[in-house]
This record gives sequence, structure tokens and C-alpha cells, in this order.
Amino acid sequence: MLSVLAHAVRRRRIGLIGWSLGLLGTVALLAVAYPTVRGNHELDRTFAGLSPGVRQLLGLADGGGLTSPVGYLNSQFFANLLPVMLLVFAIGAASWSIAGDEAAGTLELLLANPVSRVRVAYARLVALVALLAVLTVVSGAGLVAMAPATGLTTGLTWPHLIAATVAGALMALSYATVAFVVGAATGSRPLALGVASTLAVLGYLVEGLAAAVPALRPVRSVTPWHWLIDSDPLRHGLTWQAWLLPLAVAVVLGALGAALFARRDLR
Amino acid sequence: MSAPAVAIDRLTKRYGSLTAVDDLTLTVAPGEVVGFLGPNGAGKTTTIRTLLGFLRPTSGSCAVLGSWPGRDVAVRRRIGYLPGDFRVEPAMTAHHLFAWYARLRGVGLDRARELCERLDLDPTRRFGTLSKGNRQKVGLVQAFLHDPDVLVLDEPTTGLDPVVQREFLAMVDEAARRGAAVLFSSHVLPEVERVADRIAIIRGGRLVTMSTVDDLLDQARHRLELRYAAPVPDGLLDGVPGVVRADVDGYRLTVVVDGPVGPVLRAAASRDGLVRIDTVGDELEDLFLAEVR
Repeated sequence: MLSVLAHAVRRRRIGLIGWSLGLLGTVALLAVAYPTVRGNHELDRTFAGLSPGVRQLLGLADGGGLTSPVGYLNSQFFANLLPVMLLVFAIGAASWSIAGDEAAGTLELLLANPVSRVRVAYARLVALVALLAVLTVVSGAGLVAMAPATGLTTGLTWPHLIAATVAGALMALSYATVAFVVGAATGSRPLALGVASTLAVLGYLVEGLAAAVPALRPVRSVTPWHWLIDSDPLRHGLTWQAWLLPLAVAVVLGALGAALFARRDLR
Repeated sequence: MSAPAVAIDRLTKRYGSLTAVDDLTLTVAPGEVVGFLGPNGAGKTTTIRTLLGFLRPTSGSCAVLGSWPGRDVAVRRRIGYLPGDFRVEPAMTAHHLFAWYARLRGVGLDRARELCERLDLDPTRRFGTLSKGNRQKVGLVQAFLHDPDVLVLDEPTTGLDPVVQREFLAMVDEAARRGAAVLFSSHVLPEVERVADRIAIIRGGRLVTMSTVDDLLDQARHRLELRYAAPVPDGLLDGVPGVVRADVDGYRLTVVVDGPVGPVLRAAASRDGLVRIDTVGDELEDLFLAEVR
């Protein structure tokens, strides 16, 4: 099990370094740009005139201005850029974990060894979580290290910065497990990628439209995007909605994926 | 006869309306080498993948050492498997793969090292940089490195040069001598006839022949190529017993013989200027023609 896990992590190590650098660069850019934004109150007035739906999407629902650290970080990073970057990475890795390997013809060879499909599936899932955890730590640590220098953390506590980072990662994980379960059940990487990405994009759209379209609100309440943006972890910390719901989705879909994978023909 | 190490019993595998394997029964005893022959698409790979547990039988059963590897994970420790399309991640070295698989199977790396030396394979190179022949050697080493009790090899000689091929056949022979059961698929007979005890021929998912190599060769049609010093007249072999077909192409005469070749050789030699005789495979398609007639 450990060797299967180690192999799955090892295979992604180059990609992981790239994504880490990308996230660190993004965080650095945000920090460097903040002093310019902070003094620009024109921006606050512009954003105050936006519809509630857009303000909600930007993480400005509480009426905070764009120029405050919370408003700036939410609208530029935690409510969009960070979750999207983590989503792209996690969905890509998850759709590879079984379906991609299977299509490449390398999974069958491993399964000729005395190691069960369920264990391989769980090892791959744990590897996905580990990879995502590395990016979470890199991003969170980068922010904590760089942001204070430009006043970006004024009025914010470390726990809340970490909470917002972790919540973004958990949101990404919940959609990634959709890719995992589809890939595990069908062996099709394009299908896994397609279904998970579509659900993630739809979730984001629904979250934005629901403020203006009441009919969408029941739908919105079951999307991981809503759990993330609605709970606003940068302001309120890691509420149960921000961590328990996406984690529950990930656990259920992960177990389902392993079970389905064990009961089907390889391609 | 001891209990079979590989027992495929009335196996059927369907994909929707397509029947890939149809009511196939096949056994391999410990110490026995069975050549599993058939043209491409006959169902060899599907049979093997079901035997290994990658596919589930539609009906019937298959077992290796008494249980189905799809359910019994432990029995896989005793199986050496070479897939028909052997692939490893391009960035991985052969050594890394051997070390990993040896650990999963609970053995050391001595045997892998020995096999690398024997097949002249450099295990430190990344798989993606290896030639087709060398990739196949990696596949062979990983299949043999734990001295398995059962070897399931799907077209193992693909891409091997004749020297390595001979070495590989010797490895199969040694494995059988120490009691391993070997199921060895191929689409050409000469490749397996040297090591196989029995030959199973599959076509359209059905087993069409199961016999010893000697019996099969007795039945098999023969294809001979005769070269003459001067152009060959048409009709040279007309009326000779056993001649199924004779094609003249300038100095060359190609003849397919069913049964003993003696009369054909006498007739061929009766014309002056016969320079050489080549046996051009005992082609499986010819065998099949004989089988289904």
C-alpha cells in the first residue's frame, strides 16, 4: 500500500513543484499589488454598486470594501483564484489516478501483483489528498510569510488565513473526488475530467446567479462552491459548512469509487 | 496427472452482442508449457485477461492454482504475467519497477539482476528511452523475477531479436523443468513449437484444436519454397498427392502441402536445377483452413 502511495506521489512531483511555484507567485503578486489598491477608494464605490450576486461571488457579501484586506483577499484570491487553481490541479490529478493510468496501460500490470484494487484505489486517493495538502501548505505559508510586509493581513488572524486556504482546498477536493469516482467507475479519463469540470463550472455559475434567481437557491445549497463562499472562512474561520460538508462528499465519493472500481472490467 | 495449475472451464466472455470468448476449456498442468495460438482478434488476450482477473467471466470460470486471481489477491504472488502490450511509465527505470514489484511479491532482487545480465538489459535506463526489444526484456524480467509457479505470457516474443528469443525460450524451458505451468500465446506456430508440450488453437473465441505439438505438425499443412536455376514451367506439380496449391513465380515455386511431403519433393527434384528448399513457416492460417474444413 505504501509503495503504491509513494509511487503515485512521486509521479506527480514535477507537476507539484510547478503548481507550488505558481501559487507562490500569485500570492507574491497579490501582496505586492495591495498597497496600490488600498489607497484607491474609487474602487470601493464602484464595487458597492455591483449586484448582490456578483458581490457574493467576490466574497464581498458582508458589505466589506474591496480595499480592506478581507475584501481584497476574498475578491482577488480566496473566492476565485485559489479555489480554481486547486480545482484544476486536483481534478487533473484525480482523473489520472485510475482512469488515466488505466488508459496508459500501466494499471493492469500493477494489478497483476498481490495488491487489491480497493487498496490501489485508496492509495491513489490518499496520494491525491497528500498532493493537495502540499499545495495548501505552500499557499498558506506563502501568504502568512509575504502578506504582512504590505499590510495585507491587518485585522486578520493566521487561523483565518489558514482556514480560508484549507476551505478552498476542501472545495477542490470534493470536485476532484467526482473525477475520481467517474474515472474509477468507467475507466474513461475524458469522462472523469468532463463531468467534474462541468459540475465545478455549473456550481460556480449557480452560486453567482442564485442571488438574482431565487429558483436556483435550493440547487445552490448543495454545491461545494456555495459552502465555501457562503461560509466566508476568511471572516468566520473554518465553520462546519466549510469543512465538514466537502469532506463528507469526498469520503462518500472516494469509498464509492473504490467499490465500483473493484467490481468492473478493466478497459 | 497432477491438478492443473491453470484451469479454464467453459469460459465465455461477452461484450454486449459480441462474444469474445465462447465456451472455452483449457488446462495447464504444473511443468507443462501450453502454446495458445490464434490469429489476431481470436480472443487470446481476452481469455488471458479474464484468467488474471482484469475481466469478469460472463459465464464459466477460470482459476490459477485453485482460485481466481480477480478475487484471490494472494495467489497473484505466484503468477508471472506479461501483457500483450507491455508498458511502463516513460520516466520510470526498469530497476525501479523491479524493486517495486519484487517488494510487492515479497522477494529479493537477485533473480532480477541475474535475468538482466542474461538478457543483456541495462536496468538503470528510463523506460521511455528504451528500444522496443529492450522494453520487452523489461517485461520478461518482471514476469520471471519471483520464479512464479504459473507464467502467463501474452505474445512474449514481440520485438525480440533471434538471440534474445532463443534465450527467452530457454528461460521458459527452465521454468517448466522446475515445475512451473506456462501459458504462452502467439499467432505463429514455429515460435511455440520448440517449447510447447501442447498447443491450443483458438479462433473466433472458440477452441478449435487442442493437441500435442507432434500431432499438430503431422496434421499441419506445410508451405515450401523451391528455387530453381531456370524458370519453372507451370503445372510441374500437377497431380502430385497432397498438393493444395502451387504458385510459380519465375525461378521460384511456392507450394502448400497437406500431409507427407515425400511425393512433392520427389516430383520437385525430378526436374533438373532445384537449388534450394525453404520451409516458410507452418502458417497458422493454413492450419486453420485444415481445421475448419
